[in-house]
Amino acid sequence: MATAAVSPAYAHAGASEKSGVWSWLTTVDHKRIGALYLYTALAWFAIGGTEALIMRIQLQGPNGHVVSADTFNQLFTMHGTTMIFLVVMPLSAAFFNFLIPLQIGARDVAFPRLNAFSYWVYLFGSLFMNSSWLLGMAPNGGWFGYAPLTTMAYAPGLNIDFWMLGLQILGISSLAAAFNFITTIINMRAPGMNLMRMPMFTWMAFVVQFLLVLAFPVITIALVFLQFDRFFGTNFYTMTAGADPLLWQHLFWIFGHPEVYILILPAFGLVSEILPTFSSKPIFGYPVMVYSGILIAFLGFGVWAHHMFAVGMGPIADSVFSVTTMLIAIPTGVKIFNWIFTMWGGNLRFTVAMKFAISLVALFTIGGISGVMHASPPADLQQTDTYFIVAHFHYVLVAGSLMGLWGGIYYYFPKITGRKLSESIGNWHFWLTFIGVNLTFMPMHWSGLYGMPRRIYTYDAGQGWHIFNLMSSIGAYIQAVGVIIGFWNLFRSRKNGEIAGDDPWGAPTLEWSIPSPPPEYNFAVIPTVTSRYPLWDVKSPQLTAEVPHSKHGDERNDVQVGGKHVAAFHDHLSAGTPEGGINPNAKQASTKVPLKTAEQLGIPMPFPTIKPLFVALFMTFMFGSLILIHKDKTDLAITGVLVFAAAMTASLYLWLTSPLEPNHT
Amino acid sequence: MPVLTRLRRPGTRQAGAAALTVALALLLAACGQNHPESIFHHRTDFNRDVDYLFKILIWAGTIVFVVVEGILVWTLIKFRHRPGQAAPQHVHGNTALEITWTVIPLLILIMIAIPTVRTIFKTQAKARSDALQVEVIGHQWWWEFRYPQYNVVTANELYLPIGRTVNFTLHSADVIHSFWVPALAGKRDVVSNHTNYLWYTPDSTTAAVFNGACVEYCGENHANMRFKAFTVSPADFESWAKHQAENAVGTAAPPATTAPAAAAAAAAPGTKTPATPAATVAQAPAAQVTQAGFIAYPRDSIPSYAIPQTPYPAGLTFDDNLLGHGDPANGAKLVVGQGACLGCHTIKGNPMMVGVVGPNLTHIASRTTIAAGLYPNDAQHLARWIKNARVMKPKVLMLTLGMGQYDPVAKTTMKSGLTDQQIADIVAYLQTLK
Repeated sequence: MATAAVSPAYAHAGASEKSGVWSWLTTVDHKRIGALYLYTALAWFAIGGTEALIMRIQLQGPNGHVVSADTFNQLFTMHGTTMIFLVVMPLSAAFFNFLIPLQIGARDVAFPRLNAFSYWVYLFGSLFMNSSWLLGMAPNGGWFGYAPLTTMAYAPGLNIDFWMLGLQILGISSLAAAFNFITTIINMRAPGMNLMRMPMFTWMAFVVQFLLVLAFPVITIALVFLQFDRFFGTNFYTMTAGADPLLWQHLFWIFGHPEVYILILPAFGLVSEILPTFSSKPIFGYPVMVYSGILIAFLGFGVWAHHMFAVGMGPIADSVFSVTTMLIAIPTGVKIFNWIFTMWGGNLRFTVAMKFAISLVALFTIGGISGVMHASPPADLQQTDTYFIVAHFHYVLVAGSLMGLWGGIYYYFPKITGRKLSESIGNWHFWLTFIGVNLTFMPMHWSGLYGMPRRIYTYDAGQGWHIFNLMSSIGAYIQAVGVIIGFWNLFRSRKNGEIAGDDPWGAPTLEWSIPSPPPEYNFAVIPTVTSRYPLWDVKSPQLTAEVPHSKHGDERNDVQVGGKHVAAFHDHLSAGTPEGGINPNAKQASTKVPLKTAEQLGIPMPFPTIKPLFVALFMTFMFGSLILIHKDKTDLAITGVLVFAAAMTASLYLWLTSPLEPNHT
Repeated sequence: MPVLTRLRRPGTRQAGAAALTVALALLLAACGQNHPESIFHHRTDFNRDVDYLFKILIWAGTIVFVVVEGILVWTLIKFRHRPGQAAPQHVHGNTALEITWTVIPLLILIMIAIPTVRTIFKTQAKARSDALQVEVIGHQWWWEFRYPQYNVVTANELYLPIGRTVNFTLHSADVIHSFWVPALAGKRDVVSNHTNYLWYTPDSTTAAVFNGACVEYCGENHANMRFKAFTVSPADFESWAKHQAENAVGTAAPPATTAPAAAAAAAAPGTKTPATPAATVAQAPAAQVTQAGFIAYPRDSIPSYAIPQTPYPAGLTFDDNLLGHGDPANGAKLVVGQGACLGCHTIKGNPMMVGVVGPNLTHIASRTTIAAGLYPNDAQHLARWIKNARVMKPKVLMLTLGMGQYDPVAKTTMKSGLTDQQIADIVAYLQTLK
């Protein structure tokens, strides 16, 4: 893994001078941090998937007893927590890291060291939370941890401590990253890259960062209450002291529903990159795609209580949240149709990336339709907390987010590593996943409507649920085979994949104008951007001439006539690639000639540093020490918190007082 | 498993399609099966209303699905790459089209929203004042049902009169639970420190049994917090309720008489059951009891889906030969003595048995299941339950009572405790509590 992102062809090039474990520990390069996110998240994906498989083995038939009730409860809690916080969010973060600077024409994110810090916090937080498995005390309160089940009265073990502290730590990672990306996107776009020229992925990423910034503080508050209850005996959720358990539910879902869009919008963004490329057509209705993304995010803050239709909020609240929830279907539907019409009239090339992207469009629609079914509260009372809901959110998150993210991996792997993933192995991966996902989650609609509650570790015979559960389990095994094949594809293609070249797919956006993998400075010359599809403007101006790409049609004229904007873009291309200019067919050429290093080009790059890692490490220990309170070692716990807080502060001081990069000349 | 092998070799789109077809065929086959807990049973006004909404949702959903996937698949086929194809025209959008697919979903949603809001207000209106009142109290991990109008307290088995609106008042004794009988109505959460309501009118023409369950994750045994709902004729319900309100057999306030047990059990509803020696009661044939009037849903007409099939936990043994020869009189002494049942359970009429932590046992023999629907209520299961409840259902409050048994919660082996013979006596006594 240590040299994962470095293709051997570039071993002597500037970007890869640094290799070995130390270079990965100290890296502040957004591309390498993106790769770290990618591989770490995939590792957790294997673990979260294994958790799911054990559950499917248990539920394959009635009265199964492969694992105990307690173990099963830990499994579904950690499966949900892992897949949401340790897999889909970090996979999205991998793309944020890798792509945002490349897509907006920047050399790094705004705060490279904060970026490294975010990753290390994620890694240590995830390890901390999962270390509970070693004690046999993995979290067991469900991924939304409803109070009072998570309070000391009903959960005296360490299980919930690991969960709430882990989530708190992971939240810091997400928040730090979100501020970083917002700053990056606002401040570091290349000249000419106005907001309405940003690639769709960067747009969706931009929206997601605001969701993170607004949603995570809410769960932070809810978790702080819980921590105070559990460690210091306060009464926020203590039933005997008259607490209202709906406090937790409201706080959790005010975070939890935007979280759903945090999980899906990055995949939407990736699909909006993949479909135009493989249709050889621009995205249909770019402004509407942007506005619908913003609208989804905005409405996403006004629908949280649709997770609570069964708690008895009364008819007025139920009606209001029902209507707001239905409204969200409109911008989502618009996106679906715009994707389909992006392909309409195109020249569709069914690469594996394209297949994953299309299956998101096809299958997310199913999740969207069942979503509208939940929006009707009287009907939802027959659906919520059953397998129908399980089917719904897996169609959204597996058939939606994960399909999109796999599409993104197939699409961007060449840019990340310089080599393409195998298409033939990828086809196996895709089809097994596609069939497995549908066979797993489609029958769950029926088991739910036939009365099977979710989160049960076993069920009795004779309920009419057996056949559906058997199908789901078989589907899960097929998915597992697909994922294993996918992992093998990633593993073998890193070294043996076909050399990709700068632009293996004929894509339109900036990241494809630079070598694969990109040099550490990304762009030798910062490009001047004249449209949403700068590479297509250069390669096939006759096609892009017809329709203006943005309101700034005057600049488009410059592209046509070879004015100053085009000239600037060509400067960038010739400096960035050794042979100069764009030659999508020259797959070998760009790998033979060593790239210039940042020093040779006079580009100041940030120094590598270990300090963010230490800050993250000490912070994790600081939080983790609190657990000792429940081992009746309060003195040790407080000592630990103070010692690690001091160590964290010291590392932070060293970090902040050391220079980011060499002095500019 | 031919399905499995066919699914394992997809590779191509054709094979994938074939596999999906097989899956669909399986699904259709599965739809023909018996689904006792289907939400599409129309046994209440509530479920009829939900069904009306569901029909709209399913039809709208199906139309949207067919249209969207149809256009998508058509696009994929029509515009697939062909050799020598010219580069496509760069179309950037079409305002009229985009307005169209904004407005059409809006219209569909309005079509859904109006009946939705009407149904919300209809189903959440105040229940009629003459409704049968039932208090539901969720416990980790069993259900307590109280009928204040009838002075009845029971557990895990609901009786509902057909044709009369029942208004449930939902409370929790601990964490959040959710009360759900899918065939009768939607669920309603049982929230700590809150009072929730749910009402509906069972309107099936025949008596029936429905399975219910807790559907809000409530801890380790969430899956084992089940219950039953029996819908019976109003007359049978009145008879059942009167019987349930009576003191337990053998415990009535009047001093013991010599009245024969059969006569006692057959006494007209409303009269106090004369106390009789427990041993005599035990010999009373069950058939005679039911002849007297409806006191429980007849066991032999309970459908198989309502009979738990949970296997015995491994390693828990009981000498079943002792069952059937137990001494109920000794059992009656043990429940207030060495068995220490009095700490948690009530047997109405017995001044010692007033515990409220566990289920009310006054008429336990009239119930069909124990351990919140986990096991059938027969001598074998009851005996094992008393011997080591914490093995039968992990982490329950019910203590491990069998001598030499390992208590997995306290993590100790019971040095003292009940012998199998003593347990058989208690079982014999409990089985008299019709």
